[in-house]
Amino acid sequence: MKKKVWSLALVCALSVSTLLAGCSSSGDEGSSSDTTTITVWAMGGEGKQLGQLTEKFEAENPEIEVEVQAIPWDTARDKILTAVASQNGPDVLQLGTTWVSEFADADALLDITPYLDDYPDFKAENYFSGSVETMKFNDKVVGIPWYIDTRVMYYRTDVLEEVGYSNAPATWDELKDATTKLTARGEDFYGLDIDQNDQINPFIFAWQNGYEFDADAEYMNFDSEAFVGAMEYYTSFFKEGIAPTTEGLEIVQAFKNGVKPIFFSGPWMINIINDQAPEIEGQWTTAVMPSQETNTSSIGGSVLSIFHNSENVEESLKFISYINEVDTQLEWLDIANTLPSRVAAWENSVLQEDPHLLAFGEQLANTKSSPQLAEFEAIAQELLSTLERVILGGEDLETQLEKFREKANEIVE
Amino acid sequence: MGTVKNLMKNRHPYIFIAPAIIILTVFSIIPIVVALFISFTDLNLKGLADWSNISFIGLENYASLLSDEVFHRSIFNTFFYVIFGVPLVIFFSLSIALLLNYGSSLLFKIFRGVYYMPSITNIIAVAVVWGYLYNTEYGLINYLLSLVHVDKIPWLGEPTIAKISLIILAVWKGIGINMIIFLAALQGIPKMYYEAAEIDGANRFQRLFYITIPLLRFAIFFVTVTTLIGWLQFFEEPFIMTKGGPLDGTISMSLFIYKNGFQFSEFGYAAAGSFVLFIFIIIVTLLQFKLRKSDTDY
Amino acid sequence: MNNKKSKIKLRIEKIVVSIVLVLGGLLVSIPFIWMITSSFKPESEILQVPPTLFPQNPTLENYINLFSNMNFGLYLRNTVIIVLLSFLGLLFNAMAGYAFAKYDFKGKNKLFILILATMMIPAQVTMIPVYLILNELGLTNTMTGIILPGLAAAFGIFLFRQFMATIPDDLIEAARLDGANEFYIFFKLIVPVCKPIFAVQGILTFIGSWNSFLWPLIIANDERLYTLSVGLSLLKGQYANNFALQMAGAAFMVVPIIIIFAFFQKYIVEGFTMSGMK
Repeated sequence: MKKKVWSLALVCALSVSTLLAGCSSSGDEGSSSDTTTITVWAMGGEGKQLGQLTEKFEAENPEIEVEVQAIPWDTARDKILTAVASQNGPDVLQLGTTWVSEFADADALLDITPYLDDYPDFKAENYFSGSVETMKFNDKVVGIPWYIDTRVMYYRTDVLEEVGYSNAPATWDELKDATTKLTARGEDFYGLDIDQNDQINPFIFAWQNGYEFDADAEYMNFDSEAFVGAMEYYTSFFKEGIAPTTEGLEIVQAFKNGVKPIFFSGPWMINIINDQAPEIEGQWTTAVMPSQETNTSSIGGSVLSIFHNSENVEESLKFISYINEVDTQLEWLDIANTLPSRVAAWENSVLQEDPHLLAFGEQLANTKSSPQLAEFEAIAQELLSTLERVILGGEDLETQLEKFREKANEIVE
Repeated sequence: MGTVKNLMKNRHPYIFIAPAIIILTVFSIIPIVVALFISFTDLNLKGLADWSNISFIGLENYASLLSDEVFHRSIFNTFFYVIFGVPLVIFFSLSIALLLNYGSSLLFKIFRGVYYMPSITNIIAVAVVWGYLYNTEYGLINYLLSLVHVDKIPWLGEPTIAKISLIILAVWKGIGINMIIFLAALQGIPKMYYEAAEIDGANRFQRLFYITIPLLRFAIFFVTVTTLIGWLQFFEEPFIMTKGGPLDGTISMSLFIYKNGFQFSEFGYAAAGSFVLFIFIIIVTLLQFKLRKSDTDY
Repeated sequence: MNNKKSKIKLRIEKIVVSIVLVLGGLLVSIPFIWMITSSFKPESEILQVPPTLFPQNPTLENYINLFSNMNFGLYLRNTVIIVLLSFLGLLFNAMAGYAFAKYDFKGKNKLFILILATMMIPAQVTMIPVYLILNELGLTNTMTGIILPGLAAAFGIFLFRQFMATIPDDLIEAARLDGANEFYIFFKLIVPVCKPIFAVQGILTFIGSWNSFLWPLIIANDERLYTLSVGLSLLKGQYANNFALQMAGAAFMVVPIIIIFAFFQKYIVEGFTMSGMK
């Protein structure tokens, strides 16, 4: 008898728990039939703030309801991967530009070429040429640039003045010269900080030296003089001891006390410096990249894509189109502090007058996106390891690059 | 008929294990079998999106692992971590548990919590504080060493030293959980054993080695097995502190698997790597169970 | 005389042990203290070199920021539900551990190794298969889907098995002779005797479910099922990290853990009541 009581209790506990779990989760499924709900996955803080724009969109389009799900940057990849595997994705998806080719290659993103004529906001001439590259994969259009970023040079005006530079170094030779002089200020001082874990940096140098990525060329042009020369230039900073090989002081702090007076970074750094080192306001600014053949920098940011099996394509396009209107983009600049992708938005006074943003506007005219190749991540990481072996391991650059080319070919196959 | 009756009579253990076994089967064992299958395929992002893109490639992933230098290095590093880290964790957590068991005043109660703190400290705080301690040029440790005229040590900048630095960090972080397990186990030792030993004139060390440690065997066994399993999957410390560098000097097998699976989307290759790791772990674990069988006999 | 001498000796010993513990304790808890005090620092102070242990310009801004940026009530509710239901897992693990410790049955050792094997594969490798299974079961976007996979864990089963194995068989046999049934023995005899290990596993279960992050994120199709950890990680930018805000989040998350620890830890050292029974 007692036996039964216990097993009964157990069964009860089990069923109650599942019931409870079921109840607490089944919310208001599906809304009334005359409105369509589209789901949008947006990242991190942007995802939280996007709600401010969707309200207006819903007011203008009462038949469409927008549900934004914010997804943390750190784990966005896990989330999207499970969505791809289960075909259980959103309608609209924010993607970092470096992810586009990979997910487009897997056919996870809808080709919106057939709809382009209906939406003038999506025309290529509206965007910077560097970002137009991020819209496409092979001959499909898979994403619309939402906001962008590019790398520029951050430097301490006062410190550079000390070594005779009243302006930012404008060429490779000047950069080398300034860096050498800055290092000579004393022990533990450096000229330039190059983030050795940033995979786009070597490519920026290569582009500046005239390198062109070509997926069809043998070794993807990694054997060209322009590429090899750029890697020599890149590694020379470390070999000559004028760029730090170990992390040392964290960059903002080192910038603040003048230990590392020059570095390359994106627009997000403006706020970080203002927050973490308010003391040096007025003693630093930004400038376009130094040039060799050109002064090319990279372009990144985020695009908005439509998940391949979305059932609400028209509504989703309408939403993306709304987000990418010049006025909405300027509003978004105000809300989220990211740079608008529309060229026309840059005529706005805010972007023209802010001294730190000026260099970004100028730099955007000469940018390239990271190569649209599904295996790019693996190749770029391989290149970083190769350079690390040269810089820290003291290996020979020529032979290591030789190995890298073989490896890169293997990755692409 | 007889077996059914037998089963009815012996059904209790099965009822007891049923919920756990069902859950583990569905959410762990089946996925592991799926992963094993994946390790014989070229599954990548394309295959994930459309299963018709997946092809069976037999042992090719395993063959490439054999010739992957980074993977070899990750195996070497993993064993380096395990060989030095595991004994240290067990030694420190047991010592601290014994010290904490010494008294029951408020001080000792508080310090049970204090020694548990590292395991609940947010990982970003860990990275920032330890990053500062280990910083070559501005770090606290090198500053203290400079006071006694020791040259700067590149704590995270040289492959072997970086491994040791990560072991120290992981030991610091890993003490807490094992400590409370030992503390709980210490409560199971009847006081009368000690009283008897005292009457026999046994000193403190004799009591430690002839009563405490033997009676803690079941807990030590548990901690050893789980710590070994955990350390063979060493991941978080290199992930946050060094990303596997410098020169792949701190990359562990788990980090290697993570990089290939999540950064490069080579799921088939990553799965193959994880089964190599699995084989190492299961050999080590079974070995411990074997050794233990022989030691319960005496 | 002799007694007095040994008493003094004992006292000195106790003082030495206390000093060792205090020094060691300070050493291990510095990052923790830094985490708490940093949550009251402005962003400009947090990465200062050398770091300050105590804020020079204390501020509550991080906390205000934290709560105004989070859908706090909802996330807290979800987290608490997950924590409560996870304790069901404690029971499952204890039951399984008991069976492996105190019964002989067919396939016992093989099953046990199989259970341990589930600890030996990195979770990242099985994440996608697990999601696909939950999807097939129709459990995506449900609380059940978040909790179910974590209800049984090899670590817990193994821990219970190890501790329950030390309970003398005579105790159970005696109860059986008295006519107690197996479930009665488990709940009325074994569970009370195993308080310390329940306390340990309880702390671990609490921490695990309180911090649960990946499954709530992956299973949820909207923010209704997000937990506090997911909410916190939303505050992190792609490149920019507001450290002060994250320290405030971390400090806030750790408070309930400390309370639970303080509550359970007395059971850890309260001791088996069975030494008398033996």
